[in-house]
Formats: sequence, structure tokens, C-alpha cells
Amino acid sequence: MNALEIKQLSKSFPGFQLDHLSLTLPNGCIMGLIGENGAGKSTTIKLILNLIHKDSGTVTILGRDNEDHLTLTKENVGVVMDDVGIPDYLTAKQVGKIMRHTFHNWQDDVYAEYLKKLSIPTDKLFKNLSRGTKMKLGIAVAMSHQPKLLLLDEATSGLDPVVRDEVVEMLSDFTRDETHSILISSHIVSDLEKLCDYVAFLHKGKLLLCEEKDRLLEEYGILHCTAEQLHELDADAIRSKKESPYGVEALVRREAVPDNFSISPIGIEELFLFVVKEVR
Amino acid sequence: MKGLLLKDFYMTLKYCRSFLLLVIVFLAVSFAGENNLFFAAYPCIFCGMIPVFLLSYDERSKWDVYSGTLPYSKAQLVSVKYLIGLCIEAIVLVLSGAAQAVRMSMAGTFAVGDWLILMSVFLVMALLAPTTSLPFMFQLGVEKGRVAYYVAMGTLCATAFILQDVLGKAQSPQTVFHGVLPILCLAVIALYALSWYLSILFYQKREL
Repeated sequence: MNALEIKQLSKSFPGFQLDHLSLTLPNGCIMGLIGENGAGKSTTIKLILNLIHKDSGTVTILGRDNEDHLTLTKENVGVVMDDVGIPDYLTAKQVGKIMRHTFHNWQDDVYAEYLKKLSIPTDKLFKNLSRGTKMKLGIAVAMSHQPKLLLLDEATSGLDPVVRDEVVEMLSDFTRDETHSILISSHIVSDLEKLCDYVAFLHKGKLLLCEEKDRLLEEYGILHCTAEQLHELDADAIRSKKESPYGVEALVRREAVPDNFSISPIGIEELFLFVVKEVR
Repeated sequence: MKGLLLKDFYMTLKYCRSFLLLVIVFLAVSFAGENNLFFAAYPCIFCGMIPVFLLSYDERSKWDVYSGTLPYSKAQLVSVKYLIGLCIEAIVLVLSGAAQAVRMSMAGTFAVGDWLILMSVFLVMALLAPTTSLPFMFQLGVEKGRVAYYVAMGTLCATAFILQDVLGKAQSPQTVFHGVLPILCLAVIALYALSWYLSILFYQKREL
């Protein structure tokens, strides 16, 4: 069973359209939804949770349509939004009590353990916590009710590198269980590069690419050469290119390039920038 | 829904502490004279707005979006504001009712009929604000909803003045007051239920 299946999902706002988005997140995997600000990442997550109404398409969460008993489905989903959403005058302790009466599977001991592990003060008001600690509290809440799927919207942005590393480690631990999956959106690609099994590139509401990360990194590379050398290559080998007076930098399919060309490995961030450039 | 009630209870304790002080001050002032009905009724009107304030704080902290990700239906998210409103109003009505009973007894003017009329006025005052404002706020959000609420209240007051003018010419004000009040009470309770239902309908269509 897939944790999440999105088929032909569309939504229009004035000045923006999420255009027939389709993607599948298998169980036990982490998918990074990568896109610039305004690409449609938060819109996608809100559509998955039915917080906004789709124009067309289907969303299946943990094998169930998101319009069919979504309240029950949400028992198995942990969500962290960009703004977290916990009221300013609540403490972590009070949040725990509220969630105990919210989720059937809420585990006080697990929550207490997360608070301790992430050094979250229990009696400090939410408004007095740092941005990083607020986000950590959101993550602790999302992970303390035995969720099978985590939906994280920009959950790592604004965190300092130390906290980010802690969070990335926690999320990796979470998916050791094969029934656990994560969809995480971010515009900070380096966070997702470490964490994800799958990456999906979203640009101006369109899905440019959705693929296994390792396969992408194996399949593509960067070729530094002259414009003349590039012309020698088969057109199918070149996906995108950047030309400058000093030469050409091209995103190429490794297997379509002859051995006498030297190809450098590519990172996800560079790959994203090349793919976006290809669209432009 | 216990979690939502608990959250709004914490929020009320934190944000609305000053309301309790106001209730005590206003009730104390209402003891000062025979015709201080405004001071006796004001706590009911003021506390009727607590669900609206809670909704406004929810929107400011983005709880409205976050709560949509929790295992609650939209009907439950709406209902909690009406329920917390009823609980708070019940407490304020009991306090106001007790205070007025004591005041009337001390003045030697206590009569069950008069006291019930007073309580009916308080009930109408208490429920009017949430009844008229909450559906607008659940449909349009707090800011736009507030504007719509003021327009609706303006229209309502204008209609009441016209009706009072027309009915007042036909009968004495006392007769109108006594005759209309029980009907008004029932009408406000029915409107509160209708408002609740409409808010659920509106919120189900609203995008967060």
C-alpha cells in the first residue's frame, strides 16, 4: 500500500494554478517536495488534508480517499505547518493535555521523551520559545500519537544547523519502521538531500519531476565543456544548459554521453535549478 | 472534542481574566442604585463576545489552520465556540441573577416575576452578540466577519427602533415589554441554534 497517492490534482487561485499534480509516496519512504516560495508546496499539503477544496483530481491517504472519513484518517497523520499553529499562551505541558484528549493513540510517555530529548521547556509559554523550539514542539506533537504518515510543511526552515540536524535524525529514525512515511516540503534543498528517498520538483504549480533521489543522481551529471563540444553530443543527452563566455555547463544523461567526456556528479539543488531553467 | 474544549478553557483563563474582574466591578456598581440596569446587564453582553475573541486569537496564532489538521470535524471546530460561549454565559447569568436577587431583596423590591423579566433581558443580551457575529466570522474570517457583524447589528438596531416606535404608539411601553419579552427570549434561543447550524454550514465551505 502507498502512504499517499495524488492523481491529477488541480486547484486554481487568482494568479496561481496547481496544475494536474500526480505523485505517489510508497510506504516507508521520505519524499521531499522541493520548490521556490509560491511554487505550490503548502497548497499541495492543504489539499491533501482537505483544508482547501480541490478543483479536480483525487488524493488517497493511507489507502483511503481524503474525502472519506478524513477525521479517522487524521488519527494516523502527524502534521507540522510552517507557522506551527499552537496558541501563544499555551505551554508544552498544556499542549500535551489537549492532545491527550484529541488523539486516540496519544502517548504521554513518548511525548515527554521527545520534550526531554529536544530540550523543550514544559512550562514556558509558546510565544516565548525560539523559532527552532516552536518547530521542535510541533514535531514532537506530530510524532507522539503513533502516526503512520508525517506531512511537514517547511518544518526545517528557520532552524539553526544544530537543531536541523537533530530534526533530520529524528525523521530518519521515524522511517526505520516500514509502515512510516514522510512528505516534507522545503525550499532549502540541502535539508531534503540528506533525508529523502524520493524528490519531487514543483515550479509555479507544475510538477517538473518526481523520482527516486539515488536514481536521479546516478542518471544525471554535469558536463563542463565548450559550445562546440556540446554540439557533438546527441540532443537527447542534454536536458538543460547554462552558457557563459567561459564555456557551457550542461545537465546531461550520463548513459547518453560518450566516455571521453568527463561528467561531474550533481547535487539535488543544482539539478533543481537546471530543471527549472529548462522550463523557463 | 474534549481537547478543543480544554484548549479554549486554557485560552479563556489566560486572555479573559480581566473579564472576571469587570464582571465583579460592574455587578458591584449595579448595587449602587435602583436603575443601574446597564451595569447589571453589561457583563452578559461583554462575556457574550468571548467566543468571538477566542476565534480572533485562533486566527492570529494560525490555530484555525492547525486545528484543521487534527482529527476533528469542522462541525466540532465550530461547536466548541458555541459550547464554550454557553458555559461562560451560564456562569455570568448565575452570578448576575444572584447579585440582582440580593440587590432587590436588600431594597425590599424582590418579586419572582420581576426577577425573571430581568433574567430574560440578560439572556437576550448575552446571546445576541455571538448569535449575530459568529456565522459571519466562520464564513468570512474574523476581520471581514467583524465588518459584516457591525452592518448586521446596525440594521437590527434600526429595525428595533422602528418597531418600538410603531408598537409604542399602540400600547404602553410596560405592556409591550412584558408581552414581547418571553417571545423574544424564545426567538433568541432559536436564533442561537440557527446561528450554530449556519456557522457549521459556512465553515464546511470555507478554505483555510
